[in-house]
Amino acid sequence: MSAERYHRGVVHLLVVLLALPVLGTLVYSLSERWDATVLPHGLTLHWYTRLWLDERFLLAFWHSLVVCFGTLVLSTLVIVPAVFAIHYYFPRLDRWMNILILLPFAVPPVVSSVGLLSLYADGPLPLVGTPWILLGCYFTIALPFMYRMLSDSLRAIDVRELVDAAHLLGASTPRAFWSVILPGLRKGLLASLFISFSFLLGEFVFANMLVGSRYETLQVYLYNLRNGSGHFTSALVMSYFAVTFALTWLALRFGKREAA
Amino acid sequence: MSYVEVTGFAKSYGAHAVFEDISFALAKGEFVTLLGPSGCGKSTLLRCLAGLTPPDAGRIRVNGEDITDAAPQKRGIGMVFQSYALFPNMTVRQNVAFGLKMQKLAADVVARKVAEALDLVELDGKEHAYPAALSGGQRQRVALARSLVVEPRILLLDEPLSALDARIRRTLRQQIRDIQRRLDLTTIFVTHDQEEALTLSDRIFVMDRGRIVQQGSAETVYTRPASEAVARFMGHYNLLGSDESRRLLGREVRGHLAIRPEAIHLFAAADAAPGLIPATVTHSQLLGNVVRYRVEAQGTALHVDRLNRRAADLLPVGAEVALHIDPEDLQEVAP
Repeated sequence: MSAERYHRGVVHLLVVLLALPVLGTLVYSLSERWDATVLPHGLTLHWYTRLWLDERFLLAFWHSLVVCFGTLVLSTLVIVPAVFAIHYYFPRLDRWMNILILLPFAVPPVVSSVGLLSLYADGPLPLVGTPWILLGCYFTIALPFMYRMLSDSLRAIDVRELVDAAHLLGASTPRAFWSVILPGLRKGLLASLFISFSFLLGEFVFANMLVGSRYETLQVYLYNLRNGSGHFTSALVMSYFAVTFALTWLALRFGKREAA
Repeated sequence: MSYVEVTGFAKSYGAHAVFEDISFALAKGEFVTLLGPSGCGKSTLLRCLAGLTPPDAGRIRVNGEDITDAAPQKRGIGMVFQSYALFPNMTVRQNVAFGLKMQKLAADVVARKVAEALDLVELDGKEHAYPAALSGGQRQRVALARSLVVEPRILLLDEPLSALDARIRRTLRQQIRDIQRRLDLTTIFVTHDQEEALTLSDRIFVMDRGRIVQQGSAETVYTRPASEAVARFMGHYNLLGSDESRRLLGREVRGHLAIRPEAIHLFAAADAAPGLIPATVTHSQLLGNVVRYRVEAQGTALHVDRLNRRAADLLPVGAEVALHIDPEDLQEVAP
């Protein structure tokens, strides 16, 4: 009994510890002034209204959404058929894919962006400074999440046998994929899309190094405001946090329903 | 002319031959069982017949038409998988309707055929359930209905009953046989269960290490095994080597002598007549309607099955007995 209380205590302490900075930021973003006093002064939504009326913020937010959604569309179009092809036609490649998808984690973005800068600064594909280079970079960030989750979903169903059964009933391979395999992937796909999205929305290093202010995204905007009002950036961080939180919650819900 | 003709089928993975030189012919409406231990190549053979795995060599003809190179979609072959392979995202009705939808039949025709098929396998009332909500036996029936509804020319069943418990297995296998007879459907059934093979089949093909080692009626395969491997697989045959055979029965054999345990008559020693073989009971096992004795006669251990008629007839371990074996029941088998 006391062991259980101890465990609960530890968990609660951890939650408080993790929540404190967020709560602090929240309170800061809602107060008029909080500098020389222990407690904040005046409750206001002023920072939020200023933020959500700021065109530069809205544009950066829009840029982030464009890059994130663009990446997710690209990833879905490439990775879903790839996962199916690997599991159905080349099951042995799965092992190599699992190594391949770890590479983006192995090389820090700061390092790989140096390489990307020299590769795409000029030459046949001068992509640096355009959002297009982010689509490619973000694809490599989304790849591990999407490949793993889709691959797990596929492992849960016997792909080969289901496709064989559909073939014998007269379906072509694309038809079998569309009506039998894809529905089984839907939840895994949605969950992995949500997780990738919240990850990509918070991406800073690639965005700053490769594109910067030429196509300002949310994180770069935040960085550029570092010398401005702390209340204002707190409101920005809280807004960003709310979006990410909502998405993560959705992802978990889909993930849970998948497991059930 | 035979309805299905398979000639010279062979398949190997690298140096390992899964099966080779498989040739057989089936009549229309025949129920044939491929019987063999797991790993003997029978499931792969079935996949090759269905066109899911290309064979290395051989031809298959159905009703005179060579379908060796036809896509699985074009063969008119239905198959029930060991794991059923039901589409998890579809209801029972959608699963059964899938093949008909692929044929682009009108909605009312599809509905009628699905209803008939579900009626045939006695699953009406479960149309809207998803496979996950069904019992093993019900899933098996859905899989059967799904492959029957498209009216295949040949039905392939890959160990369809192996995942079910004994009671359901018996009911369902009788049902499969009834339906197959009613539809006059040419059927190849794969199993490693000899009882299943014996009760269901018009003919049994015994497979061992990638070859069909014997083809024949259930009766023939059971009482006249062609080889030691078949005898070992078909039941609890007593297999006597040449020394034992000479000593016990005064008979010279090249390979082995196979004797069914129920073909040995066992008498209490008191009833012994001249010409019988004296033996001693060393072990007895009650199997229900049958008692299986292990007896020792001149240093040779034999299994003897005897009907369990009366408790008074049970023989204790150590009892002196006498054996009689009809020479007709001695089957010489090649090694």
